[in-house]
Amino acid sequence: MTQRRALVVDDEAHITHVVTLKLRNAGFEVLTAGDGEEAYEIACANIPDIIVTDLQMPYMTGLELCEKLKANPETAHIPAILVTARGHALSSTDLAKTNIREVMSKPFSPREVLAKALRLLGIDAVGEQESEAA
Amino acid sequence: MLLCSSAGGALAGLATAAVVRASSGELTAGAATTGLVIGTLVGVGVAAPAAAFIARGMDRLRRSLLDGEVDDAPPDALTRRLVGPLMGAVGEFRERSRAETRRATAGLRELEVRWRVSESERRRIESTIDSLRDAVIVTDNFDELTMANDAAASLLHFDRATCAHKPLADLIQDEMLVKLIHQARESGSLAGRKTVEYDLGASGGQPRSFDITLACLPDHSGEAVGGVVTILRDVTREKEISQMKSDFVSQVSHELRTPLASINAYVEMLVDGEAKDEHSRTEFYQIIKNEADRLGRLIDNMLNISRIEAGIIQVERTEVDFVEVAKEVVEVMQPQAKLKNITLLMRGGPSVYTAQACRDMMHQVILNLVSNAVKYTPEGGRVTVAVENDDASRSTLVTVSDTGLGIPPDALPHMFQKFYRIENYKRVAKGTGLGLHLVKHIVETVHGGQIGVQSTVGMGSKFWFTIPFEASGRIAA
Repeated sequence: MTQRRALVVDDEAHITHVVTLKLRNAGFEVLTAGDGEEAYEIACANIPDIIVTDLQMPYMTGLELCEKLKANPETAHIPAILVTARGHALSSTDLAKTNIREVMSKPFSPREVLAKALRLLGIDAVGEQESEAA
Repeated sequence: MLLCSSAGGALAGLATAAVVRASSGELTAGAATTGLVIGTLVGVGVAAPAAAFIARGMDRLRRSLLDGEVDDAPPDALTRRLVGPLMGAVGEFRERSRAETRRATAGLRELEVRWRVSESERRRIESTIDSLRDAVIVTDNFDELTMANDAAASLLHFDRATCAHKPLADLIQDEMLVKLIHQARESGSLAGRKTVEYDLGASGGQPRSFDITLACLPDHSGEAVGGVVTILRDVTREKEISQMKSDFVSQVSHELRTPLASINAYVEMLVDGEAKDEHSRTEFYQIIKNEADRLGRLIDNMLNISRIEAGIIQVERTEVDFVEVAKEVVEVMQPQAKLKNITLLMRGGPSVYTAQACRDMMHQVILNLVSNAVKYTPEGGRVTVAVENDDASRSTLVTVSDTGLGIPPDALPHMFQKFYRIENYKRVAKGTGLGLHLVKHIVETVHGGQIGVQSTVGMGSKFWFTIPFEASGRIAA
């Protein structure tokens, strides 16, 4: 399969590091950012296949980032997974303005992040073939 | 003249008879006869002595009637005949009048007692409702105000002295409240009460939240609704505290979850064999340990803050040499400062006095301030710790100055708040937002000192605190 590109966004370096490692070991090309603003610039410049982002970050929150990405025709299609310690703070109205497809609560399992990313991209668990091609 | 006298005597006789009728309520034959005799005597002009005799009799009658005097002199036969029946009637009348007066006086006294009891009861009720912090207003069956306390007058802006029996709608601007009371009277039953939450717009300020309790009062029959008592309880502060508690729990949850998320994720990576070599595994173990330490510090800080706030922390005060403590902290922090090529200096002479304090806590305070200074000072900067005496306040003054990023003016008032972190500096250094809050508690709540900060963005910050030379005993050792 073609290598998929993921953007991992979190202001906690350890979290960025661990998710990056998990996705990279699964064959992803991984880009990282430490806040929403930086993430938006990277997303616009590199058009990743999927975004894994934290909610509460400086400059621009994960929610604002995803709203902005949805509003931009170039990036509107990119699915996102939101990983947050404040999952209850999100309403369905908030989520409707974004391309957030999955919300995960911290503490989270990197294994689950990978599984959800693969499912959203239509790739089977082994990552060897895309389900739409199967 | 004679005619006149005769006519006048006849008239006097009739008048006397009329007096007897009016006084006794009945016209006796004796009285009528007396009147006629006198009239006849006068009419025929019998004699002036007779007139004098009658005058004496009348005088006896007058004194008996008005003054209650009894003439002990034995009346002659003519007097007995002429005045006796009249005196008897007058005496009877007087006794009846006295009895009536006694009854009326007793009734009046009874009314006075009842009025006083009623007044006392009213004052007691007014004093009772005046002692309440809640606003209380009582309205009648016409929605007119019958009673209100000071809290209500102040809250709803009416003059208590002139408000009685005025329509509520004329006294209160808030139409919804008037409507609520009206509806309660119209639809309410005597059983039970209604409570509603309501926001009242405070004049010139933020709206305040109230719990309004409306209860119908019985009328004189005790069976129908005759008015409404309305109690307005200000719950604004309670709601704020509830919101603060909710925010605190949410914040604590977030702060605890963050290091826990790292620990959980790296453990899972190790379990899944995602660490490819020994170097990666060691790196993961170290991250797990650091994050576990972070979690531990967070819990310790929260517990210490909680203990201080509850006033149950144990403080061991000794004479603390602040120069010595500051030197220890500088020594501990030198390796971290060197990593960023930061010059970490200590200023403070031997003449600095000691102050009574908990040494461990003072170490924690200075370490926290120096650690923050090193964290937020770019490479090549300078951090200076100074210890001196502030003779004016009889305190030891410790200052930690840096040439770091500085603090934006809008953030300065919040620097010692629980969980406050400058959003844009979160990437510069990690923190829980509890350190400075704890430091403030240790300095001010536990030791009775003061803490403050001055800062200019791009130029650096200066945190200072004072500890009194002698313990103020705010929290007993």
